[in-house]
Amino acid sequence: MKLKLIYIFVTLSVLGLLFALANTLKISDYEVTGNKSVKVQDTNEDYTKIMDVLTHQRCVNCHPSDHIPKQGDESHPHYFDVARGEDDHGFEATSCNTCHQSENNLNSGVPGAPHWALAPASMAWEGLTRAEIAERLLDKSTNGNRSHEELVKHMTEDDLVLWAWEPGVDAAGEQRALPPVSKDDFKIAIENWFANGAVVPSK
Amino acid sequence: MVDKDKGSKKVSRRKFLVRGGLGTIGIVAIGAYIFRNPIRRQILGMVNSIEAPYTDNTDKPMVWFEVTTDNDIILYSPKMEMGQGTFTGIAQMAADELSVSVSQIKVVHAASSTGNVDSFATGGSTSISGLWNPLRELAAMLRVMLLKEAAVKMNVGVDELTVEDGVISGIKKTLTYAQAAEGVENWEVPYVPALKNKKDYKYIGQPIPRVDLDAKVYGDPIFGMDADMPDMLYGSVVRPSKIGSTFVSADITVAENMAGVVKIIVEDDFVGVVANSMIEAEHAKDAITVTWESHENLDTATITKMMTVGNGNSTTIQKNGGAFNEDDDFETLEFRSPIGAHAQIEPNGVVASVEGDSVTIKISTQVVGITRKEVAKRLDLNIEKVNIVPTYLGGGFGRRLHTPYAVQAAVMSKAVGKPVKYFFSRKEEFQHDMFRPPTHHIIKGKLNNDGYLNTLEHEFVSGDVATDSALLSNALTNFLGADVGAIRGGFIQYTAIPNFRAVYWHVILPFATSWWRSLGLLANTFAMESFIDEMAIKAMKNSVEFRLRQIGEEPIDIRLKNVIKAAAEKANYTEEIVDGRAMGFAASIDANTPCAQVAEVSIVDNEIKVHKVTVALDPGLAVNPDQIRAQCEGCVIMGMSAVLYEQMFVDDGELTPTIYGPYQMALMKNAPKEIDVLLLQGKDTPGAVGEPPLGPIGAAIANAVRRLTGERLTQLPLKLSARS
Amino acid sequence: MKISFTVNGESMTVDIADENTPLLWVIRDTLNLKGTKFGCGKAACGACTLHVDDEAVRSCSYAVKFAEGKNITTIEGLGERENPHPVQQAWIEEIVPQCGYCQPGFMMATAALLNKVPTPTDEDIDKNIINVCRCGTYYRMRKAIHKAAELHAHRVMNESKEL
Repeated sequence: MKLKLIYIFVTLSVLGLLFALANTLKISDYEVTGNKSVKVQDTNEDYTKIMDVLTHQRCVNCHPSDHIPKQGDESHPHYFDVARGEDDHGFEATSCNTCHQSENNLNSGVPGAPHWALAPASMAWEGLTRAEIAERLLDKSTNGNRSHEELVKHMTEDDLVLWAWEPGVDAAGEQRALPPVSKDDFKIAIENWFANGAVVPSK
Repeated sequence: MVDKDKGSKKVSRRKFLVRGGLGTIGIVAIGAYIFRNPIRRQILGMVNSIEAPYTDNTDKPMVWFEVTTDNDIILYSPKMEMGQGTFTGIAQMAADELSVSVSQIKVVHAASSTGNVDSFATGGSTSISGLWNPLRELAAMLRVMLLKEAAVKMNVGVDELTVEDGVISGIKKTLTYAQAAEGVENWEVPYVPALKNKKDYKYIGQPIPRVDLDAKVYGDPIFGMDADMPDMLYGSVVRPSKIGSTFVSADITVAENMAGVVKIIVEDDFVGVVANSMIEAEHAKDAITVTWESHENLDTATITKMMTVGNGNSTTIQKNGGAFNEDDDFETLEFRSPIGAHAQIEPNGVVASVEGDSVTIKISTQVVGITRKEVAKRLDLNIEKVNIVPTYLGGGFGRRLHTPYAVQAAVMSKAVGKPVKYFFSRKEEFQHDMFRPPTHHIIKGKLNNDGYLNTLEHEFVSGDVATDSALLSNALTNFLGADVGAIRGGFIQYTAIPNFRAVYWHVILPFATSWWRSLGLLANTFAMESFIDEMAIKAMKNSVEFRLRQIGEEPIDIRLKNVIKAAAEKANYTEEIVDGRAMGFAASIDANTPCAQVAEVSIVDNEIKVHKVTVALDPGLAVNPDQIRAQCEGCVIMGMSAVLYEQMFVDDGELTPTIYGPYQMALMKNAPKEIDVLLLQGKDTPGAVGEPPLGPIGAAIANAVRRLTGERLTQLPLKLSARS
Repeated sequence: MKISFTVNGESMTVDIADENTPLLWVIRDTLNLKGTKFGCGKAACGACTLHVDDEAVRSCSYAVKFAEGKNITTIEGLGERENPHPVQQAWIEEIVPQCGYCQPGFMMATAALLNKVPTPTDEDIDKNIINVCRCGTYYRMRKAIHKAAELHAHRVMNESKEL
């Protein structure tokens, strides 16, 4: 009789324990305050890396706030008054492709990448704060109607974006400066940042 | 043999030749015994007023004309065609005296093997004016010789024959020039016959289309850069980036093994690569490590400091009237102009072929004679064995008044036993140009009580222009005390002013400076005509009237006054601002050709915009008015390009920039939409055309800006102060 | 490597060791068509302008490998003495060239402009024609471009009448 009671007690205990466990948070769902700040720091670090690249002079050169592409580390206006034109590709007869091809030209120093053109005016970054750039980036009405998934694809796979890390030599034969973050680190930062909800730091 | 009684000489050649014997006069009376100051100044004054006639080496016969079986006449030109229209002008001159249609004259560049080598150069606006008499005399002589032969063949008297369009007509028979020349072995060269009257000119004075028009519109391969020879290889020479570098040594180990490299040549003074293609030569050149010995690192500020009035050696080139009292209360203005690049679109290039003891060189050059001598000397060859074949130039402007690259190409060709083509990269063009030297000017003036100038002084400093160009030795500067090129435009043209003085300071720069179209004229006129305008404003007088009153009464002065009046009238010159536009006036004399201009200017987006320029030019007799107009248009645009945009810098010992774009130049959008050209004829013979119209444009624009904004801009390139 | 393309209507194949050789040098040195000029090699002056599939391209900055399968037109193919292109005819009527070196590049750029904008305004010309001319023939060029537009319009009109 006493043995039967012990069995019932143990069974009930085990069942109760199981119920208790089932109804509590999983380990990973626990809010451990120590861990939370590391995660936000991660996503802010990703954001910083991304923005360090996007605000690099060379990227901004093709995301001007006016209709004029910029050139060089000092971002002078494109020589010969080349400008945006009607469709971001320059003028009717003298378009971007008159000089820029789908690859860098090491003989002439003219940079090149597939579909070389100015970023559309809605994606202008020149003079914007990081938060403002992020806003443009995430807003479908300005970013070419791209979802987060499409943004990740664009920013990690598009040839013109990736050109930033293989910018070739200039007319003087000098290597162009690279962005401050490596291509791989940039890709990881993009993937992570979007995976974590593309959070823009509030500061 | 000279048959003195008949006054003719017998010449017997396989080809028909005309013996040239035309006398030699140099620009400056070389060989004359020169005393100090007054005469020296007079000679320098002569520089400004005389047009250099054609000079030649008359010891040997030279080919000028060749009659072809098609009854065309090939004219071998010792002057090069670089866009200035010389070929067309001389075709017209020859056609008139030869009594042929101008389309029958085929002008070609005379290779040095023809003996027809101009011992001066093509430049200085001297081609048409220099050849005016000599060429027409030669053509007339040829006409007479052909008529005489025709008379013999037709068995009639010469007086019974007429000729038109190269067809000789007797009563019963006609013969073409070609038929008349056929089979003739011994020609009698007559006295120079009387040249045709102006009323009989069929082509001279007509705006006929340029003779090289088709070639240039259809892309014919006429330039030095287009030259080639069978089995040709490509060369490239390593050049230093820093000013004042001397070659020490070269490491060619990497370059030697690169694709397409045939040979690397290391001489005492240069390293060259010869390869199978231009690109391979360039790549290999980049792989050669050269050790240069450079001197101190120069920068723009150091150069600017060197070019300051008071530095170097001075010469008073012009003086009138009394002492200039330093205590007087002068109006003073200082002006500066920068280093200017030629930037002609065709880079310097050459194809050289050394075969045994003879050399053939195809090259765009303005100096056939000098190039020939230099190649002969370097290769230790008889000069007769060096044949320079000149080509059309893709721009001269003085850039090619020394082309020693022919020497390097010849050395490379000799080393590889094949023809070698070698030309400059654009960076090399910019860094190894022979620049227009920077200048500094201090102009002082004092008005009398009537508001006209009582005293005027122009002191200016420049680097060498004429005398570092291999054309005239540096010794000449020491002899004359002044560089004959830098002082162009430096002579004060307001000779009715009681006291005036022009002083030239000569500084030697650490990089090559030389002839840039019109030489000192651009900067000197900018300074002087800006100052004159400022004085007119101070005197509260109309600046055109102010000028007219202070010019003298010599023939050249009358001609100057006439162009001034003509330009002012045509432009409806006013000192009012109308619809945001102002006019600016300026005038100059260069090589005996006066020019006046009115520029109509406005400010758009804080930039100076030139809408219209009115030009009045008196080049004497206009051989081809359309081509003269073209020269005026071109000078206006080239001038405004230099005056508004162009500037070379020296950065860390290197000349920069080295590419179009950063070296800003006028583009289509900047060129005035209207250029009105008036031609006056103040003398009966053709004068200088190619350079004089460059004079007034700088001051004309600056004077307009002064009226518009109140700002007196004194530095080239003209830049407005930033406006908010 | 072998690269095949059409030049001025003629098919050709070139064998080039370095496929990144600028098209300019293949045109000039391999195919011996000297009308297209070398001025700077940095796509700055425009003297090397030709057409690739009717678009203006600066051939000094265009690797020959990209020419595979394309139609190249140079100044020699734009028109000939017996049958000039309206741009060439206008250039002749206005007596535009001086030294002439930059002119083929300008004519090719102008022809490309007229293909896209048959009646260009001065502003269209300012924006599209950005080659460099040192002799300063821009003033006559502008007149020639307007004249070429007229001539081109007449030619197009006549050609469509013939159809």
